Amino acid sequence: MKADNAIDLVNVTKKFDEVTAVSKFTVEIRKGEFFSLLGPSGCGKTTTLRMIAGLEVPTEGQILLEGGDVSSTPAYRRNVNTVFQDYALFPHMTVRKNIYFPLKMKKISPSEAETRIERVLRLVNMEGFGNRLPQQLSGGQRQRIALARSLVNEPAALLLDEPLGALDFKLRVAMQKVLKDIQRNVGITFIYVTHDQSEAMTMSDRIAVMKDGLAHQIATPDEIYNNPSTAFVASFIGDMNFVHGTVLDNDGKTCVLDVEGQKVTAKRAVDLGKGAAALVCIRTERVQVNPHRSVENRVSAELSRIIYRGTDYEATCRIGRAELRAVVQAVTWDAALRVGGTVELAWNAEDVIVFPREEEKDVIKYSGEAV
Amino acid sequence: MKRRISKPGEFIKGVPIAVWLLALVAIPLIFTFIMSFYSSSGLVIDRTLTLKNYKLFFTDPLYARILFKTIRLAVAISMLSIAAAFPLAYMVSFKVRRGRNLLFMLCIIPLWVSYLVRIIAWRTILGNRGVINSALMALGLIKEPLTFFLYNQFAIAITLTYICIPFVFIPVYTALEKIPRNLLDAANDLGANELRTFYNVILPLGLPGLVTGFIFSFIIALGDYIIPLQLGGTQGIMFGNLVWSQFGFAFNWPLGAALGFILFIIAVAILGLTSKFGSTEGGFLGE
Ligand SMILES: Nc1ncnc2c1ncn2[C@@H]1O[C@H](COP(=O)(O)OP(=O)(O)O)[C@@H](O)[C@H]1O
Ligand SMILES: [Mg+2]
Repeated sequence: MKADNAIDLVNVTKKFDEVTAVSKFTVEIRKGEFFSLLGPSGCGKTTTLRMIAGLEVPTEGQILLEGGDVSSTPAYRRNVNTVFQDYALFPHMTVRKNIYFPLKMKKISPSEAETRIERVLRLVNMEGFGNRLPQQLSGGQRQRIALARSLVNEPAALLLDEPLGALDFKLRVAMQKVLKDIQRNVGITFIYVTHDQSEAMTMSDRIAVMKDGLAHQIATPDEIYNNPSTAFVASFIGDMNFVHGTVLDNDGKTCVLDVEGQKVTAKRAVDLGKGAAALVCIRTERVQVNPHRSVENRVSAELSRIIYRGTDYEATCRIGRAELRAVVQAVTWDAALRVGGTVELAWNAEDVIVFPREEEKDVIKYSGEAV
Repeated sequence: MKRRISKPGEFIKGVPIAVWLLALVAIPLIFTFIMSFYSSSGLVIDRTLTLKNYKLFFTDPLYARILFKTIRLAVAISMLSIAAAFPLAYMVSFKVRRGRNLLFMLCIIPLWVSYLVRIIAWRTILGNRGVINSALMALGLIKEPLTFFLYNQFAIAITLTYICIPFVFIPVYTALEKIPRNLLDAANDLGANELRTFYNVILPLGLPGLVTGFIFSFIIALGDYIIPLQLGGTQGIMFGNLVWSQFGFAFNWPLGAALGFILFIIAVAILGLTSKFGSTEGGFLGE
């Protein structure tokens, strides 16, 4: 709860009748940070954002804005602004009037407002659109105006609820860059809601990965990718192999497991005793096929499927009853490999992540992937 | 928005509407218009064209006076209906969470009861031995029944307002229901409290419904002659009664036609003026 935090959530919980939308959420969001709430639909992202905005009242817990408790401050007096999922531009007002709205509410003089409107229109690259009505704009343009309207009062934090969700892929990628640039330029704290993991990974300073109202992990993209704290986080971000294993030996630094009769070593702290049922995770792009260099983990497997994907190949291999996928860059792919042949798979012990088997139920399965 | 009617499909779709409009609106109107230039002598209608009827309207101050009184009353009734129906529609649309459809039905139930029955009902409420007087006498507040409830403009206004409320409620409620709820969140988020959200967002977006409601109630009130006849007494003669009596006892159909046509022109003019305010894009209140 340092004063230089933009936002503090302390044990924030929200219940709708029977449903617990958000459960004991605690986080410190620093000033100027690009912070993302990431998780599948229904995990409580929007509810969290609405509580910060003041549009929803927490059932329990505290919300601090720049160090001051705003738990009982109504939305219209909170110095945060929201970019809504479907923009929520006022259809009866021109672009200029839309952006003037928050200034008028703050009783900014018309001449001062005029300069600010021009400045923010320039910021989102929409000069000359001031007299259009929202209906006369494309999706991407509406998005920019919604952004301009929320930024014009220079709030302590900008809350964005899946702002790019309605845009097509190309435009979305372009807008990600625009948003990130704008955030750097204005230096305002962004709290960004998305269910798109790659969007969160590329844009954020830190991410809170949520499921069923719980924050599973709050960390940098790098940390979340390489050291996921739960099997859910491991499965939600990136492309991960999950296989069953049993702990053979564990000294707290190195854990040796049995996977389909073959030894797999994990070089990290694992909280499982000898004989415990484990879920062994390895990123698909960290699995090497017939490697030249010797690495700690080597298993032999049968190649059961090859999919060419342009920049890379996905090779699915069988180790007993388990299945493991390896994603290999097309330039390094051995064209002599055939389905039905035997291959050696290898990976570094640092790349093996181990979770208790109970967490298997949280794993998000992509189509075609077997656990 | 430009309307294009060039496509053949659009044109064919328009045909039944055109026929309907022609049969029910245009033809009777044209007949009325033509008849207003005839004159009546005794029980026969003289078909030579004359401006006599219109001349009478402009020379005898009685007609203008009653017309003015009627318009004034119709405007007052429309305002009263809006004052009653708008808050109702606002509450049902924005403040009620459960059972909204039921409430909506309750608000328009009066429409299921015959117009005449409702007029009689109001007579028994306002009359000498009516509900109000009986109640006041039972409470001992008055000794003699109050007579100013019935047979005057007050009685007409209150009954017509009651008749008009559902006709204002329906378009206003429909307009309010169409307002995306996230606009209210957005206004709130951008610094507007409930009052300013109402004034800046709900009111301008609900305005088309309000204008439609105004037009409905204004037309109903402007042309009605049954309620003035039943509840208006001697000071309650409205322009509709004048028109009606020309077709009735006076048996001067051409004069009736001329007066009816004048009423029609005035209604059209006022509607034309009012519907300007109905557009949400820019203009009045279009912040
Ligand atoms: N106003 C509400 N009333 C009842 N339940 C709600 C309401 N808003 C959200 N919920 C429930 O809370 C959970 C979280 O919703 P939400 O925050 O919208 O998730 P997300 O934005 O991550 O998709 C869901 O189960 C949803 O059904
Ligand atoms: Mg959401």
